[in-house]
Amino acid sequence: MKLDKTIYKETAYIAIWTLIFSVLMNAVFLVIKKWDLTVLWGNLLSFASGVLNFFLLGVTVQKALNFEEKKAKNAMKLSQSLRLLMTFVIAVVGVVLKCFNTVAVLVPLIFPRIAIAMRPLFDKKTGKGGEISGNGRDDSLADEPSDGRDDAVDATETNGEKD
Amino acid sequence: MELAIGIILGCCALGAGTAMIAGIGPGIGEGNAVGKACEAIGRQPESKGSVTSTMLMGCAVAETTGLYALIIAILLIFVAPNYLVNILMKFIG
Repeated sequence: MKLDKTIYKETAYIAIWTLIFSVLMNAVFLVIKKWDLTVLWGNLLSFASGVLNFFLLGVTVQKALNFEEKKAKNAMKLSQSLRLLMTFVIAVVGVVLKCFNTVAVLVPLIFPRIAIAMRPLFDKKTGKGGEISGNGRDDSLADEPSDGRDDAVDATETNGEKD
Repeated sequence: MELAIGIILGCCALGAGTAMIAGIGPGIGEGNAVGKACEAIGRQPESKGSVTSTMLMGCAVAETTGLYALIIAILLIFVAPNYLVNILMKFIG
């Protein structure tokens, strides 16, 4: 199955921001003088887990969109359970093994959420936000007809000319 | 002493199990979102790209609730017992 480029794009966005937050976290560890290699390994493990989780979510969403409604619901529930299990196993490995720092394993799991929360701010600055204009329509969709009415008006006018 | 440690361990396990109830919600929510997205794409196939992108972010946001619960559960299972038992030891002497 060929993956949609949207999934790669969104995963790259999440990966970049998670990486930025990871660097910040490492900087904080350095500042408080608690940085060692276990922090780095834990961070890498958690970073990989978070990005993989998001990528698998995207793959499941793309698959589920081709199913009918009930099957799509079940596919998402199953996928969510399996991904949560995967995250649990990775987090437990990170907490139990001494070569990983517990805090550095657990904190980056929340970074994708922060990246998504920051997205509207980022999109507003770059003008991708699709601001809603006064008529309630999304300006980013301005070129597309909102519904069939525009076509209907054209058809009426054409018929009128014919008459 | 053993009883106190047992109560601490039992409560931690109970708390972890209770926290993981929050893991059920995101699955149901994501399922509903994807179901409705399927409907929407069925009505307007040309909007598939934007629907996928928005829904992906929505699903990720919904899933974070489960991750919070997971983190709390892991802390309660692996970190809290040692911490609480140490406090108990210090308190009793």
